[in-house]
Amino acid sequence: MKRWRDLLGKIGWAFFTILFVIILNFFLFRILPGDPARAGVRDPRLTRENIEAIRVRYGLDKPIINCFESLNPVKIGSCAVNPLDTQFFIYMGNLLKGDLMISFHTNRPVTDILSERLWNTIILIGAGQILAIIIGVLFGMFSAWKARTTLDYASLTLSLVAWSIPTFWLGVILLFWGSNNGMPIAGMSTPGMSSYPFFTRFGDIAKHMFLPTLTYTIVYMGEYMLIMRSSLLDVLSEDYILTAKAKGLSIFQILKDHAIKNAMLPLVTIIAINLGFTVGGVVQIETVFSWPGLGMTIVEALNRRDFPVLQGAFLLIAVAVIAANLLADLAYSYLDPRVKTE
Amino acid sequence: METQIAKTAAATPRFQEFWRVFRSNYMGLVGLIMLIIVIFVAIFAPVLSPYDPSSTLNVTTADIYNPPSAAHWLGTDDAGQDVLTNFIFGARVSLTIGFFAAFISLIIGGVFGIIAGFYGGRTEELLMRFTDIMLVIPDLPLMMVVIALTKPSIFNIILVIGLLYWTTTARMVRSQTLAVKSRKFVLRARAIGSGKGHIIRRHILPLVLPILVVQAVLVVSSAVLAESTLSFLGLGDPTALSWGQMLNYAFGRGAMSTGAWWALVVPGFGIVWVVLGLTLLGQGLEQILNPRLDTHHLMPGRPIVTSEAAKVIEKVSGKRPLLEVQNLSINYVNNGKPPARAVENISFTLKEGELIGLVGESGCGKTTLMLALLRLLPSAGQIVNGQVFFNGRDLTALSEEELNTVRWKEVSIVFQGAMNALNPVRTVGDQIAEAIIKHIPGFPRDKRLQERVIELLELVGIAADHKDHFPHQYSGGMRQRAMIAMALACNPQVIIADEPTTALDVMIQAQILELLDSLRKKLGLAIIFVTHDLGVVAEMCDRVLVMYGGVTAEYADVDTIYNEARHPYTQELLKAFPDLTKPKKKLSSIPGYPPRLDALPAGCRFAPRCPLAVDRCHKEQPLLHKLGAAHFASCHLLEASK
Repeated sequence: MKRWRDLLGKIGWAFFTILFVIILNFFLFRILPGDPARAGVRDPRLTRENIEAIRVRYGLDKPIINCFESLNPVKIGSCAVNPLDTQFFIYMGNLLKGDLMISFHTNRPVTDILSERLWNTIILIGAGQILAIIIGVLFGMFSAWKARTTLDYASLTLSLVAWSIPTFWLGVILLFWGSNNGMPIAGMSTPGMSSYPFFTRFGDIAKHMFLPTLTYTIVYMGEYMLIMRSSLLDVLSEDYILTAKAKGLSIFQILKDHAIKNAMLPLVTIIAINLGFTVGGVVQIETVFSWPGLGMTIVEALNRRDFPVLQGAFLLIAVAVIAANLLADLAYSYLDPRVKTE
Repeated sequence: METQIAKTAAATPRFQEFWRVFRSNYMGLVGLIMLIIVIFVAIFAPVLSPYDPSSTLNVTTADIYNPPSAAHWLGTDDAGQDVLTNFIFGARVSLTIGFFAAFISLIIGGVFGIIAGFYGGRTEELLMRFTDIMLVIPDLPLMMVVIALTKPSIFNIILVIGLLYWTTTARMVRSQTLAVKSRKFVLRARAIGSGKGHIIRRHILPLVLPILVVQAVLVVSSAVLAESTLSFLGLGDPTALSWGQMLNYAFGRGAMSTGAWWALVVPGFGIVWVVLGLTLLGQGLEQILNPRLDTHHLMPGRPIVTSEAAKVIEKVSGKRPLLEVQNLSINYVNNGKPPARAVENISFTLKEGELIGLVGESGCGKTTLMLALLRLLPSAGQIVNGQVFFNGRDLTALSEEELNTVRWKEVSIVFQGAMNALNPVRTVGDQIAEAIIKHIPGFPRDKRLQERVIELLELVGIAADHKDHFPHQYSGGMRQRAMIAMALACNPQVIIADEPTTALDVMIQAQILELLDSLRKKLGLAIIFVTHDLGVVAEMCDRVLVMYGGVTAEYADVDTIYNEARHPYTQELLKAFPDLTKPKKKLSSIPGYPPRLDALPAGCRFAPRCPLAVDRCHKEQPLLHKLGAAHFASCHLLEASK
């Protein structure tokens, strides 16, 4: 019973967070200085009428939110406009319909643009994340087990250096190296590839993916190594490890049966929290390698002042990260008996 | 004025103490040096740089992207400017933004954390929920949006980073405040009615400060990274040439296609240098604040030292007792200082079915001695003398693999405070079965294994349906009994019970003691019972070893100890416990505390607290005197009566 209540509480909290992000997202683009229409279409030849037409087209002529008096039952009707006919409620209504408005720049629905690019980002994050976790966790394990040996210091130094390298810079350096060594330097596939058989295309994409994935892996591997090392060190100084040793178990048995699982548990949550930072890394990698994903979409939209796309991409990323956190939270309470059977 | 002087005088040794520890932490030291170098470069930029960064007057197209040369050590950039000069001045921009942004975020995080931790309740709930929300929102996209919508200026960048990077600080500070809040002196300050502001300023802030310093170091590095990323993505202040901005220009203006690697490598090197320096410093400080490697249980043990003389005794073996400890001495290695002599020259024997009591105050080396028997000492502990014979085999001479066949199979341990001695994520039954599978080869892994586990649990009075429960579902007493069941799993010959009842209430204590005693009679176990409770010893033990400060104070059978104790410490201990046969006797406690292992007195270790101490006791360590067939005590006063 309590478990179900916890579950509902967690889901409710995630929805509340999403709502907060939606509202923040709306007001961020309305309250900060600058007229979106003027900023979005910077052309000196525009007349006042042209601008007004653009404002009407994107709904920017309506009040942002109705005056607060409409909430006062005594004064109902004293406001000039229908409370539902404001930018805020139109925006919320559209969101419910899954409509993220139309791009200033390309005139296409934002949802179309984002759904095209979402998968490219997921492929990149997926491959990089899996590699980084596997390599990082393995290094972290050995490092903690062999604490204070040369192996530990070497992998610790390596991880700290990897952790300190700015993602975009590593990308730039690898790109520089790749461009001198015949690697593809931009995009996801060679133009004109679409008519080739599947395996050729697949190989082409894999080749394009190599450097971005390598960048991603190097940057995040260090972090996972540090987290795993520290988590395992905590576990290895627990009393139950001493018990396991007193039981005559070999070091390998202790690590396998008593330490690793306990040390991996906090990692689940940390990986999810990290997703938020990971997004930052993806934005940089996609920009450097011109990888047509969400991150590049954001940077493009920024440069073109294409606010609907920017707003939509930000919302999508935030919702994805919140959902991932929720999943990690649920997974954790499923994996850890201390939470599960409380 | 006087208090001011007193304060600085008190602060200096603390700083010196910190510096002493910090100096031996290479990671932190390297980080600090890296940081000092870059700050030095930033401050003296005009002196160090070969050119004036503002002179762009005489640049021609021939100056663009020139490779490193004598005139331009690190080449020129897209505007024909000297890369080295821009690199040196770039340090100023990057560091300024980093430090100011970190300052803002630390203040926000610190205030939120302290308020949440100190006031608790609704305030805490609200602040921490807000922190959680901010933690989930991806920060780089948010920063990009905010800066794009406002204006890319140094001021805005500092503000945005500062306003978004406080979440981890708030969480850390809150948990530290919570921990500090429940400490005695804070509770006392509240009890005497000190104001909240006063308590926060005087008692909480000083203890939160170390965390804040570590956090500051890490936040500065994040801020430097964030600034360079924003600048690289074209959101930096175009008038301030930070390292990120240099990379933005180089990447966007053809350094790639012209092969001008120097314009790409050099600024990035600066960022890595600063971030790595700060990270190393942060890691070093963290290690000092939270030293946990000392209890790492899988570190290889230190080599055991055995004297040649002892080895001779080994050969004279005839019929030996079950367990025989000879002149065992254990040191703790102490980071450059002389080792702490935790246990010195302890000898005792244990026969089949016998129960020996090991008695002494906390910190007398009892647990160290017990762990050393099975070579389970933490990595700082080292056996420096003596031997442990079990059935005639010297345990100090066995390899780890050989020792693993003795551990638990022959000698098992019931640990003190079984709270954490059981693995929290495996069921109790599973952990008992593990010992059986390990040590009884060929034991069927089917229903019979489960039956054996149930049998063991029922032996200690735990119902069968608790078998598949996790340790946290057990009560403290049940955990302790489960630990005993686990210790019995492989029918060992010896059980070491290390204060098995300390944390439990009196009723459960009695139950567990009775249980151990009945098991001894039923199964013929030999037990080493570690305790500070002489009452327990009187009821159950055959013989008693009284330890003080790591040495034997007195060693005799139980009647001798109670009726003819000769060592002043034993006598004082006895006076401190109620005797039911003499209800009107006054109880007295021994003033003072046992000696610290790193500051042992020169003479007898008990001398500073001994009511009978004479001059000699403070100068010379007493020998262990034989007073009867099996009665030993170490005290100068007993020399005459020998």
